[in-house]
Order: sequence, then structure tokens, then C-alpha cells
Amino acid sequence: MSATDYGWLVLAFPLAGMLVTSFGWRVLPGRLPGWIASAAIGLAFLAAIGALVQIQDLPADQRSLVDSAWTYAATADLRVDMAILVDPLAVFMCLVVSGVSFLIHVYSVAYMGGDRGYARYFAYLNYFVFSMLLLVLAANFVILIIGWAFVGAASYLLISFWYRRATATYAGIKAFVMNVIGDVGLVIATFLLLNETGTVNFRQVFERAPDAFASNDVTLVFACLLILVGAFAKSAQLPLHTWLPDAMEGPTPVSALIHAATMVTAGVYLIARTHPLFELAPTAADISAIIGTATLLFAATVALVVTDLKRIIAYSTISQIGYMVLGVSVAAYGAGLFHLMTHAFFKALLFMGAGSVIGAMSGIQNIDRMGGFRRAMPFTFITFTCGALALAAFPLTSGFFSKDEILAFTINRGGGYWVLAIVGYVAAALTGFYAFRMVFRVFYGDPVPEARELEEGHLAHHDPANPMTGEAEDTDVGFPGPEHVIAERSRPMKAAMGPLALLALVAGAVQIPGVSDVIENFLEPTFEDSRFRDTAPTEGSEVIGLVVGGLISVAAIAVAFTVYVRRRGISLEWRDRFPAVHRFLEHKWYFDELYDAVFVRPAATAGSFGRRVVETDFVQGFIVGGATGVVRVGTSFARAIQTGFLRGYALLLLLGLAALALYFLIASS
Amino acid sequence: MTIHLSIVLFLPLATGLIGALLPARYARWAVLAGTVAVLAYAIVLLVDFDGSRAGLQYVTDDEWISELGIRYQLGIDGLNLFMVVLTAIAWVPCTLVACFREQDRPRLFFFNMGLAETAVLGAFMAQDLALFVVFFDLMLVPFYFLIGGWGTGDRVRATTKFVIYTMAGSLLMLAGAVALGVLSTPDGGHISFSLAVLQERSVSEGTQQWIVLLFALAFFVKAPLFPLHGWVPETYRSTPIVVLALLSGVLSKVGAYGFLRIVLPVMPEGSQHWQELFIIVAVFSILYGSVLAFSQDNVRLVVAYSSIAQLGFIVLGIFALEDKGAQGAVLQMLNHGLVVVPLFLIIGVITMRSGGSESLLRLGGMAVRAPVLAALFLLVTFATLAMPGSSNFVGELLVLFGTFEDKLVYGLVASLGVVLAGVYMIRVFQRTMHNRVAPAVEPREIGRIDLAAVAPLVAVIVALGAYPNFVVDRTEATTVRKIQPARAVAAEQARAPAHREVSAIR
Amino acid sequence: MDVVWFLVLSAFIFVIGAAGVIVRRDPLVILLCLELMLNAGNLALIAFARMHGGQAGQVFALIVMVVAACEVVIGLGIIVAMYRNRLRIDVDEMTELRG
Repeated sequence: MSATDYGWLVLAFPLAGMLVTSFGWRVLPGRLPGWIASAAIGLAFLAAIGALVQIQDLPADQRSLVDSAWTYAATADLRVDMAILVDPLAVFMCLVVSGVSFLIHVYSVAYMGGDRGYARYFAYLNYFVFSMLLLVLAANFVILIIGWAFVGAASYLLISFWYRRATATYAGIKAFVMNVIGDVGLVIATFLLLNETGTVNFRQVFERAPDAFASNDVTLVFACLLILVGAFAKSAQLPLHTWLPDAMEGPTPVSALIHAATMVTAGVYLIARTHPLFELAPTAADISAIIGTATLLFAATVALVVTDLKRIIAYSTISQIGYMVLGVSVAAYGAGLFHLMTHAFFKALLFMGAGSVIGAMSGIQNIDRMGGFRRAMPFTFITFTCGALALAAFPLTSGFFSKDEILAFTINRGGGYWVLAIVGYVAAALTGFYAFRMVFRVFYGDPVPEARELEEGHLAHHDPANPMTGEAEDTDVGFPGPEHVIAERSRPMKAAMGPLALLALVAGAVQIPGVSDVIENFLEPTFEDSRFRDTAPTEGSEVIGLVVGGLISVAAIAVAFTVYVRRRGISLEWRDRFPAVHRFLEHKWYFDELYDAVFVRPAATAGSFGRRVVETDFVQGFIVGGATGVVRVGTSFARAIQTGFLRGYALLLLLGLAALALYFLIASS
Repeated sequence: MTIHLSIVLFLPLATGLIGALLPARYARWAVLAGTVAVLAYAIVLLVDFDGSRAGLQYVTDDEWISELGIRYQLGIDGLNLFMVVLTAIAWVPCTLVACFREQDRPRLFFFNMGLAETAVLGAFMAQDLALFVVFFDLMLVPFYFLIGGWGTGDRVRATTKFVIYTMAGSLLMLAGAVALGVLSTPDGGHISFSLAVLQERSVSEGTQQWIVLLFALAFFVKAPLFPLHGWVPETYRSTPIVVLALLSGVLSKVGAYGFLRIVLPVMPEGSQHWQELFIIVAVFSILYGSVLAFSQDNVRLVVAYSSIAQLGFIVLGIFALEDKGAQGAVLQMLNHGLVVVPLFLIIGVITMRSGGSESLLRLGGMAVRAPVLAALFLLVTFATLAMPGSSNFVGELLVLFGTFEDKLVYGLVASLGVVLAGVYMIRVFQRTMHNRVAPAVEPREIGRIDLAAVAPLVAVIVALGAYPNFVVDRTEATTVRKIQPARAVAAEQARAPAHREVSAIR
Repeated sequence: MDVVWFLVLSAFIFVIGAAGVIVRRDPLVILLCLELMLNAGNLALIAFARMHGGQAGQVFALIVMVVAACEVVIGLGIIVAMYRNRLRIDVDEMTELRG
């Protein structure tokens, strides 16, 4: 079997899993849907490995294969095939996506075990993985857009998975609409490229782009910016990020899979995929780098004050994706994608740990009410700390190597990029701080009642309620199930978290400056046309970067330890001393309020204006009224003739006759 | 096998008549059998159709009123193939659902259903302008009775408005058609209304301009587009749901179809003259329909205004006067019909579960006990908002691409409509299926009959989403040829703007 | 004899009949006047037939007589019906057709 055959198999397994779980929802007993879905993803992962093996057998310059299954739509000068592109980048993404997805599926088998929407959950989850794989395997812009929209739809469905929660459905709509905005951006960008290059296929577009566009051609910059709209909407970058924190309304494994490890990194993949265009349009690439940097700083500051455990991790995700966007925008493709991979590991792990803690808290997510879980949940504590260390880029963990490689690359570009790198280091310090703020506040300190109860051997139980609003709920379908699960008592969850913890710690080994270069080498064929191949930092400068990054990370963790463990209360002091700063951060820089004022209210006003004024006064009043008015005047004239007097009719008849006779007399003479 | 279009055309009417003569409880089954037979015939037609040919196939051509040059001329080409198929597909589930609901005077109801199908099929198949006008007006008759006789609420007012609007449009079109026939007759020649003949004869540009306007008014009312949609809110509110599915899903396409069949090929100069205006009307309809759909609380009206937006897209594609745009419009005509019919049938199911309430404020939480209903509704919702992966997306994509080509700004404005569609459709889904169960709502699974009506349609939608080229491939040759004359005119004017000024002065 | 005199006579009778239809209010008299008008027409038809030497005009006159007989039957029927319903026998009272 060739690499493309494996590519199709990668797509086929999740699709089949989705069909089986969705049509068999009534007949499949117990946890079987979960295992079927997990098996489907496991098979997809194996198929991805098959594709990897096949593609590594080929000579380096032939490692880009396209295979078309059928013509999707062909008319005039547009021809779209249902085709997949299998090259190192696609295989890399397939491996990361299917691998992490498999572990999260296994985790979900236990975590969602008590939920009444069990089969539906796994059908959605398989659908998501299928869509994500379609996205990374697409060989042209249209199929990419399809995958793009499908993951958006899956994200919507999973965010509103507990669909009787108004907060969840609202968050779902918000995410969906942001994604649609991104889709439209991509559609327009696709047209601009089609118009200039005559094709929508990735390979041809990239081949023809240097001839079709001058460097920094206005159309191309515009097209790239539209691609960025799509990428930023999906990857929650400024100013399209507001949906991601709300997306935490979904079940925790969903946050781990979609809103941390895979879907939200699609924007990074897209920029890497279309890198020939961005290199031709450096202005767009610079804008992308600036926005990425702004986002990573913004999100890191907000993560300092948020008190909802999942939302802290969500803001951290936004921030980390900012690093990746920065990386691929400054042509550090290998580094950016390396960080994508390590981030997938440690962020999925953090969410899984958070899910376990939330299980122990019986659904409560506020860290103000947590504390002292260290002894009650040793496994969760250790794995969560592994994830936090990687997130904080503690020396020798995976995040340490990947994040600092991006920053080293950025510095190496010189000039204004220095500023971006410095901002990146500042945010790295914040990252270490907020990562361990979570660890120290959840696991250290005096045990809360829930932790005590757990130490005594049984899980706390609260009446089911919406963690955001406190509304009472039941446990039927549409709300979370009655059971809460923690990793310590569930083998599938342990089985998923263990490997991830290991990977979070050691996955950096594949790419250590001066030691190993696995990712760069593997991705080389995809990015060999890059113009910035020579600007890669030297080993020396990378090592310096690593030392600086490591020092910052350790210092930040030490500060967090001081603030939250040794001198607790200092954070409250700070809050009281700078209330304006705190309020500003707590309102997330007022983005939601801004959008409400700029978009939502005007749209609603326009709608009610249309309904009240245009519909009633113009359409119904003027046009309908006008039309019926004309008819009414006409009919009233006709009615006036109809007197009902017989003699009147007779007279008219005779007059008519006489007129006719007169006419003929005159005409004939 | 030879295919006789007249059989397809009059079969529904015939079964309607038979049903009217049978005892009342058999009438429905006779008409249902008729619609199923038409569907079977349409499928045979679809299989047998030669997609590579651009001309008419299965032509029926007989004298009808020879003194007036009116012929009984039917034919199928890429343009109306899928319209006929859509009509056949749409009528079966709607009739099926109607069969299992209690009706007053069932014989009359189902006779009207049959007559309506014949009229719509006739309008799609007619290749003679006069014949088209006849069927176009004939469509009004059964729908007048269906809305007036079986409607709800203030049906008298709704029917009156509907009739006055469409009659006014029809009369204008009749005047246009007669004028076209008479004025195009060369000296010494014999008058003819056959579209093939009209296409060869030419009318002066000035004449074309006002005739096009007359046709456009009729088609815009039917479609409906802003600002001629005044009849829509009341009619949509009062019409029985199965009839509404047909009215919105199939009838609305006749107007758009008329542009491609008659206006563009026969009066290319006139069409080109109004291109800008029509595009503005279309774009405005898209925005206006979307914004209003967003602010409506009545489920039917959301779909009503979304139809205005969708028809805006179709007309935009047509008057982009570009191959991709027109192709997208043809595809979108089919797609919109295919999603609107199940949409209304599902709304019918929903309102049965909510004690008749159609307000979004009083619905919610239905998915709890009706997962299958929710799943079907979800798929239809996604198709309606043209999510990539649905055939509707390909249609809108082609329309937008066609528009971008020459009219980039209008295209960009129209793309806003795509975003808004996402908002208002997902809102309807959320407010009916999700959130807490509303007090008046009794969540219950979709019934077997409704399932049998809706599920096949959803299957067709999904299948088309995977392989839209099935439609594109078969329609392309004809569509390109239909807009060719108008494109040529546009291209010539773009090349020689100076010439135009000179002729304007003269 | 010149055909003109027949036509003049016919015209006189027609005008008398028409005037009667318009000014009288009694339906019975109106019916009589209608008969006058019809017969004026008959006269003209026969006169023309004589002039052209054809039969067609005379046949038409016969048909008109038949029609006139039918019309009188219906008209009288209506009058009797009105009488039975105790309505006033006056055409100005019958304005049901007013719009």
C-alpha cells in the first residue's frame, strides 16, 4: 500500500467509528461505543504510522503525494477534487492528532462513563477527529475549508454537548459564529488565489505563486491576511479569541482534545501549509508575528487573574498558540510545529488533570474553593505538575526546548524581531507564574472539605449545578451525568495520563540543539523551499537562549512558590493595591464588552429597525399600501358606474350602440 | 426507452381528478401514488439524461393555438432537469405527510395538490413562452385554494395579499410576453412564442429594457426579493405547513429559473442593461433577509426571511453574468429546495410538540427525548447555513466566485450574508432543540411518517454534499449556453464604452 | 317602393321602443317596448332581404321572433315571481346589482 492509501485509511477509520456509534446508539450496550470509538482512532493512528513508514521510504524530493478520489466540483475554470496530500507536514499532523486523540478517547471512556449522552459524545468526538484529519490531509483549499468548517461544527456540538445548559449553548453559538467568520475569510482568500493562479490545489498554487505575484503584491498580502482571519478565528488569536474561554463549557476531555491539543492549532498548521505565500508576502507574515506576540502577552496576563481552573488553562492555550503563530510567522516552521506537538502533550495532560480535580470537586471549577489535594490525589498531582513544568518551560522538559527554539529563531531574524522575542520572554515569565499558581492553589495549602473527604476514601458529592451560574440541574441527558470520576480510581484515565506525562517531560529529546534534530529533518522536504533556511540560529545562540529561558522559568516558579505557598495573602495585597489593573485583567481587557457594543448591539438594532420601520412603514405601508391604494381607486371608479338602475344600463347600452353606428356612418362616408 | 414528458406533466392532475371521483378516504392515496409515480419517472429521466449535450432532450412539440403561434412545446435540458427532479422529490414527502393528517374536504385538498404539481412541472418544462405563462399563472390557482381553504390564522388577508401580489406580477409578465412575441415578429413573418424562435429573433435594445423589467417584477415577486416581499410574512404564517414547504421550496425557484430560461437568452441586451440594478436588489435582499431572519421570533418567519436571502444569492449568481455564478445559482436552486422542504416538515413536527406555538421564545429543549429529530434538524440546519461540506456551500461558493470575478465589492458585501446565515440558523436550532425544556413543550420523538418523509430528503442532502459534481456536471453545458448571449453583450460593452456613449447621444 | 321608407319606419319604431325602455318604470310596459325594438329590427332585416333578394334575412327574422318569445316568457315569469313575493312592480326598486 502506498502512503496515500494509508492516508485514506486514516480518514476512513474515524468516519466509520462515527457511523457505527451514531447509528448504533440505541443497541450498543454500556461502554461499548466508547471502546469502538477509541479503537477507530487507534487504527487511524496505526494507519498514520503506516503512512509515515511509506513516506520515509521515498527519496526526499518525492515525499509529497496527491491522490484524488473523485471530482468534487468542476465548472468553468474551477476544478476541485476530493483529494488528499500526503507529505511530511500532513503525516506529522496526522500522527499528533490521532495519537493525542486516541489517548483522550481512552480517558473519555471512563470520564464520560456516567453521562446519559455517552454514544452521542463518542459519535461527535469521532466526527471531530475525522474532520481534523481531513483538514490536515486536504490537498486543496476547498477541501481544507470543508475540514475547517467540520471541525468548527464538531467544536460547536461538543461545546454545547450539555445542551440544556444555557451557558453552554450560548458559548457554542459564539464559537460557531467566530468560526464562520474565519471560513468566509478563507473562501475569499481562495478566490483571490484562484483568480491569480488559476487553481485551488496547494501544490500548483505554491508553484505558480512566484510567477503570479511580485513580492509583497497587494492582492497576495490581502489574500494572506484573509487566510490569517481564518487561522486566527480557529486558533483564538486576537481579536477573534473570545470564544475559546467560553468553549470551556464543554466536557473537560473535549477541552483537552479540541480546545487545547488539536483544533485550535489548525491555524498554525494553515500558516505552515501556506508558508510559500507568506514568504512572498512578508508584510502579512510580519502582521501575523505581531498579532501572535500580542496575543501571547495578552492571554498570559489574563491567565494571572482568572479563577476558573479550566479557563486559566484556556488562556494559557491562547498564549501558547501565540508562540506557535509567532514561530511559523518568522519562518521557524520546525520550531513552531515542534511546539505544537509538545503543547498538545502537556496541555492535554493539564486538562485531563483538571478534569480529575473537577471530578473530585464534584463539578466545581473555581480555584478559590480548591486546595490541598496533594495527598488525596497523588497521581493527579504528579501528572498535573509534569504538565505545568512543561508549560512553564522548566529546563529539560519538552516545552523548554520547543518554546525557546521559537524565541531563538525570532532573535536571529534581528531588527524589530528583537522586540517580539523580548515580549515572548516576558510572557514566558508570566507563564511560569500562572502555571504554578494553578499547582500551588489546587494541590497545596490546607485541604478543603472535598479533599478531606477524599482522603477518607469517598468522593464528595454536591447537588448538580451549573458551575458558572449556580443554577440547579438534574443529571438526565443534556446535563452532566450523576457520577464524578477521578484519575486515581479509573484505569483508562491513568492509562491516558501516564504516557502523556512521560511525553510532556521527555518529548523534547527529539529536538535538542546540537544533539538531535528529528522534527526538523523529518519536515525538511515540506519546507525546503523556504527562503529563510539560512537564517536558522546557530547552536551557540540557541544554547544561550535555552539558558536564559530556563532561568526565567525557574525564577517565575520560585516567585509563584513565594506568593502562593510561603507568603500566602500577598496576592490579595497586590490585588487591593492595583484595583484598576486587576479589574482590567479580570474583564479580559474588555474585549467581550467591546464586541457587544460594536457588533452585537448594532446588529440587533438593525434587525429591529428593519422589522419595525422598513417592514411596517416601507414594505407594508408604502409598497403594499401603494399597490392596494391604486386598486382601491380603480375599483371605486368601477363601482360608481354600477348604479343598479336598469334604465341606466339600458341607456349606456343604447349610447354605446349609437356611438358605434355613428362611427360606422362617418367611417363609411 | 422513450420518455414522454406529457405523461409526467399530467399524471398528478390525472390522479388528482381520479381522487376527486373516488370516495373521500381514497383520494389521498390516489394523489400520493401519482406523486410517487412522477418521482419514479423523474429518476428514470435523471438516469437516462445525457449530461454532455447542451440542447433540449425528450422534446414534445405540437400545435396548440396556431393562429397565435403558440405551441405545446416541452423539453428537458440541464437547466430544468434538476428543477423537475426537485419538484418530484419535494411533492412526495409533502403529500405523504398531508395524507396522515386530518384534512377537511380531502378530495378537494388533494386535487389541488395534484393540480399544483402539474402546474409547477409545466412551468419548468415549457419551452414556449405562452405555455410558460399559462402554467406560471396556473400555479396560483391551487395555491390560492390551498392557502385560503386550509390555512390558519388570518388566512383571508394572507390569501388576498398573496393573490394580489402574484397576480400583479403575472399580469405584468403577460404584458411583457405578448409584447415580446408581437414586437419580435419580423415583417411578413408569423408570430411565434417558441423560445427557440424568440431567441433567434431580436428586439431593439430599448424595447428589451422595459420587457425585461416587466418579467423581473413578476419573478422578483415570486422569488421573493426585497422590496417585493410584502406578501411573505402573512402568507408564510397562514399557509398549511406542507403547502408552505412546497411554496417556499419549489415555487420560489420558478422566478429564478425564468431568468435563466427566458430573460437572459432572449433579451441579452436588456438583461445586461439592468445587471447592476438587479445585483443591488439581490445583495440588498441577502443582507435584509439575513438581518430580519436574525431578529424574528417566529420559526416560520426566520425561514421565510432566510429564503429571501437565499433567493438573493441565486439572483446574484445569475446576474453576475459569469459561468461559475450561473452554475452556482442553478445548483443553489436545487439545494435550497432540498433543504427548505425538510426544514418546514420538521418545523411542522416541532409545532405539533409545542401546542401549536411557533415562537422561539416558547420553544426549547426538544432534543431531550427526540434525538433523531434533533439529528435530522441539525443536518438540515447545517445544510441551510451552507456549511462547507454541504452542496449548498458549493452553490454559494460558485455564486460568490462568479460575483467576485467582476463585481468584487458586491461579492464581499454578500459574503456577510454567509456569516449571518450561520447566526440565524444555528439560533433556530439552539432555541428549539437545546436549552431547558420550555413549559409548553412536550418533547417526543419524530413520528414514523414524518421520519419517512424527512429522512430520505436528508439522505439526499448528505449525498449531494459528498458529490455535488453530480449536479454540476449535468447542468454545466446548458447553463453556460444560456448566459452566453448576455455575457457577450457585457464583454462587448466593456471593450467599447465609447461606442455606447455615442449611441446614447444618438 | 324604395327600401329607404321601410328603414325609416323601422328606425321610428326602434326609437319609440328604446325611449319606452328608458323612461317607463313598469316592467310590463318595458317588455312591450322591447318587443317593439325587436320587431323594428325584424322589419329592417326583411327590408334588406327584399333588397338583396336573399333568404337569409327572413330566416334571421324568424329566429329573432323565437328569441323574443323566449324572452317574453322569462320576463313575464320574473314579473309573476315578483308579484307573488309581494314586491312592487317597479324596475327602479330592483337595484340589487349596485356595486
